[in-house]
Amino acid sequence: MNQNNHDYVKKPLPPKFGTYGLGFAALGLILSILALVADPVRASFDSLIVFVFLIGMGMCSLFLIGLEYLTGAVWSVPFRRIAEYLVPLVFIAPIFAIPVFFNFSHVFQWANPEYLTLHKTVMAKTAFLNPQFFYIRITAIIVLVGLFSIVIIRNSAKQDNNSDQNLTKKNIRLSAGLMPIFGLGITLIGIDWIMSLEPLWFSTIFGVYYFAGSLLTAFAAITLIAIKLKSFGALPSWITKDHFYNLGAFLFAFINFWAYIAFSQFMLIWYANLPEETFWFLSRTQGSWLYISIGIIFIKFIIPYAGLLSQPSKSNINRLKYVGWWIIFAQFFDLYWLIMPTFSKSGAVFSWTELGFPLLGLGLVMILFKYSYTKRNLIPIGDPKLKRAMDFHL
Amino acid sequence: MQTDYTVETSVVEGNPSFKQIDELIGAPLETLPNRNFLIAISITASMLLTGAIALGFSLYYGIGMWGNNNPVGWGFDIVNFVFWVGIGHAGTLISAILFLFRQKWRTGIARFAEGMTIFAVMTAGLFPALHTGRPWLDHYLIPHPNDHSLWVNFTSPLLWDVFAVSTYFIVSAIFWYVGLIPDFANLRDRTKNKIKKIVYTITSFGWRGSNRHWQNYEMVYLILAGFATPLVLSVHTIVSFDFAVSIIPGWHTTIFPPYFVAGAVFSGFAMVQNCLILLRKVFHYEHIITLDTLEKMNKIIIVTGSMVGYAYAMEFFIAWYSGNSAEAFTFVNRAFGDYAWAYWIMVSCNVIFPQLFWIKKLRRSIPVMLVIGILVNVGMWFERFVITVTSLSRDFLPSSWAYYKPTLVDGGLLIGSFGLFFTLLLIFTKTMPVVSIAEIKAVLPGAQPTHHKAESNNGK
Repeated sequence: MNQNNHDYVKKPLPPKFGTYGLGFAALGLILSILALVADPVRASFDSLIVFVFLIGMGMCSLFLIGLEYLTGAVWSVPFRRIAEYLVPLVFIAPIFAIPVFFNFSHVFQWANPEYLTLHKTVMAKTAFLNPQFFYIRITAIIVLVGLFSIVIIRNSAKQDNNSDQNLTKKNIRLSAGLMPIFGLGITLIGIDWIMSLEPLWFSTIFGVYYFAGSLLTAFAAITLIAIKLKSFGALPSWITKDHFYNLGAFLFAFINFWAYIAFSQFMLIWYANLPEETFWFLSRTQGSWLYISIGIIFIKFIIPYAGLLSQPSKSNINRLKYVGWWIIFAQFFDLYWLIMPTFSKSGAVFSWTELGFPLLGLGLVMILFKYSYTKRNLIPIGDPKLKRAMDFHL
Repeated sequence: MQTDYTVETSVVEGNPSFKQIDELIGAPLETLPNRNFLIAISITASMLLTGAIALGFSLYYGIGMWGNNNPVGWGFDIVNFVFWVGIGHAGTLISAILFLFRQKWRTGIARFAEGMTIFAVMTAGLFPALHTGRPWLDHYLIPHPNDHSLWVNFTSPLLWDVFAVSTYFIVSAIFWYVGLIPDFANLRDRTKNKIKKIVYTITSFGWRGSNRHWQNYEMVYLILAGFATPLVLSVHTIVSFDFAVSIIPGWHTTIFPPYFVAGAVFSGFAMVQNCLILLRKVFHYEHIITLDTLEKMNKIIIVTGSMVGYAYAMEFFIAWYSGNSAEAFTFVNRAFGDYAWAYWIMVSCNVIFPQLFWIKKLRRSIPVMLVIGILVNVGMWFERFVITVTSLSRDFLPSSWAYYKPTLVDGGLLIGSFGLFFTLLLIFTKTMPVVSIAEIKAVLPGAQPTHHKAESNNGK
């Protein structure tokens, strides 16, 4: 068995980190409960945003782990654990589905019998869009993806002790098996939880759109966490600028991927100009939604694109940190734009009630991170590819 | 077989010396064509001749010789065009995108794949040029001031195609040629033939292999790879717009752009893989274009094939989900209507058979991958046929429904396109190094100094 000559020493997180996490969670919880009391339907929509945000991020973190195993990528090995820490979000995110569950027919119009009698087209979709099948789908996705995640992460953790190469092989096989399930799962979450909010509207690319946004967010979160960990010296010294350059380059690629998918969807619907499709975009030009719609182009594409375009910026730690935060914000902005117009048709609404759930989400992510970080090594010290990752250079 | 993940597997097997590489890759250029080559080129040239005859009919009698009817105004012309443009995509993916991803295994196959790109785009270009009916007036496709005050329609994706494909062709050709320069210089220095010496001297632009030359070369190569990457994606995106911006059921669907790109890479890889299998056998390049490389290509085939399968499934699902009866009819008609045979060829070749590559044994078996590669190309050709013809032959007015039947001239042009492509490819293999000599040398074990540590690469 190989012994990696890593100079990794486990360094505990600053004690403040856990306190902040608990603080955010507590404050978020209080605000969320108040929001739920004040306006349960609106709060359910807010909660839905956080649900799709977190579950997408968790699932795409697992996707990135699988991608590393399948492609035999080397440079990303020291960052893989960060993704592993985020994967359990798949189990935590459903907390945010609870408010939706209690206000189901207010959030999803297709669950409202009165709406169905008015819309015969939607009535025809109830073979797919009915609460029972809806819950079966999301449960199946969480259980299946969750099982894969547990086994893959456990194999990875075991390797720290015995450096067994067979575990890598097993994980490659598991990753291959995961991919079709992941693809189906993320598509269905996108269609069920976001697209079906407007049950009349349809777009074949929507699953890919949700995937592209979530992938970008997961990658931004991993980059951001890596930088934070580096800033207080938790990462070993052999992680150099070259490793960060790759993070920046992939972030840039994923920004472009999202923009490509978003443009494809908009462009084709705009050009064909069929009323059954355009109404969805038109409703996002009502009142102040117009500014939000235009804002998407700048916030989720032009600004981060410009920020990472030049070659040096991709390994500029400071730049990467800002872009990382920015993309997390941009994903919220995008999901808000996708989801909230169903609740408030005349214009965008924003007040303290929108803050509770994201704050709770942030707190929970921090608590989860602290828990996973304390339990497992940050660097997969038994990974057979680690030596090559240490030698990685551009 | 136990894989050792701690070491990077070399992309070239057997650790050949630089001299051996020179001789091996130079060999086809320094020997006269043998019997096999002559047999091969006479077959492809006959196919080309068939195409030329069909072309003659199309030009002399007009494109009424084709099977197009009303309502099927688009037939083999667009099907062949999309098919060949798609074939070209694999070359750019291998040479540019995999270069940006620093995938060393691309080295042995990039040059050949890039050549295939150029020939495929040339072949593809024939069809739109012909389908205008009066190809001698095709220059009106380019917006230039003229005394007829004719101006192009900038809102039509067909025009964007003109720009996208021609830009793509130019950048691909430059990219390809830049890569060839150091190799031409190498050949110039090796050859003993006077005429060849002159030709290689001109084509190698005075390359001396100096440090300065290499520095400029690397930078140009990187920039061109950066250019080619968005270009290759844009080309098939725009090809998909040809269909998707219209409101024909089965054409107008938002997933078309990424779906077409994935399909193009899918069929392109199958074609490149097929040609490489023959090439490595004939030229004894088995240790340069290794089985591992072919296996990696097969993995890409299964990934892109599954993406295509995903798009089929999404289209079908949304056709039902949309509640649009025309849309739903189109898809049911595809699967069970007049063209069901074409549809099921498409589904089985594109979605079902490539799944066999999940099994490692089959992924590494030359005969199996050869057959699956051919099936994929059959399937992808039929995909374009299904999209184009099924939607048009059953359009909005049932009174005008008609069955599309290609004519002999259509078939002749299709055969001719294959003839043109393979004839050019055969000439390429005897006139230029089909593997990049300079790049292969750079990925040999021990050739790359690691700039972090003073120790040189320990090879194996």
